[in-house]
Amino acid sequence: MKEQCRETLERAYLYLDGELLSVSERHEIKRHLEDCAPCFERVGLEDDVARIVARLRGCEPCPARLRQKISSLLNE
Amino acid sequence: MAEASPVDLTADERRRFQEDALPLLDSLYGAALRMTRNPQDAEDLVQETMLRAYRAFDRFEAGTNLKAWLFRILTNAYINTYRKRQREPQKVSADEVEEFDLYRELKNHDTQFEATPESIVLDSLVDSDITDAIDDLPEQFRLAVVLSDIEGFTYAEMAEIMDVPMGTVMSRLHRGRKALQKRLWELARDRGIVQGSTDPQDDQNESSTSE
Repeated sequence: MKEQCRETLERAYLYLDGELLSVSERHEIKRHLEDCAPCFERVGLEDDVARIVARLRGCEPCPARLRQKISSLLNE
Repeated sequence: MAEASPVDLTADERRRFQEDALPLLDSLYGAALRMTRNPQDAEDLVQETMLRAYRAFDRFEAGTNLKAWLFRILTNAYINTYRKRQREPQKVSADEVEEFDLYRELKNHDTQFEATPESIVLDSLVDSDITDAIDDLPEQFRLAVVLSDIEGFTYAEMAEIMDVPMGTVMSRLHRGRKALQKRLWELARDRGIVQGSTDPQDDQNESSTSE
């Protein structure tokens, strides 16, 4: 199983990001994650970290003053 | 370089810019803040970006990816103007990232210190911890993580925005995430969420280096 673990972990980001892998490659990874607890945990951890970073989306809104300033500059 | 002044945009183009581009200001500002790590510079950067975008808007093909187009302008403006002004050193060395393994660290703490499951560590971190950790990353890692994990761009879009091959995008992003995990772990340790390690090796790894 070790080789499959290595391959799975190498592709973990592509899998989580939904990038570049074929449907059958994704399926292979999904099946391995169902069978292999350590890989499942590792990939799950990556996903959890990504999720806490994604929390930052929209948390620093553009200051109103800046928004107004830009609006008025564009209207000149 | 001759730029179209706003008066050269049609009324329709001007309206489209107001309707489509202005709503993206929050995203642009947030990213600018992570790039410059300084609110005043972030404001200047966003303002400059919007002006450039407005002047070039007649060249933007309607219906294509406006957000990516704006972020390309933002990133270029950052590289050309603000990068030199970097005020604080980064706290993560790009080289030492490869060995760090958050999963292994969490597992080790599980056995040594009873109950430090992943969720306790990660859920104890607040938003400002995350932004601090991101801000501590070397610039190229920081940009990749922001574009992908905060703004949700695809690798292809990031290649356009950063003007690098997709392989470079993947390398910076994957290493950037590892570097972020290392930094989050160190912050969790500093905040007392996890017990500090008695391993002196850990202290050696924390150094202020430029990229």
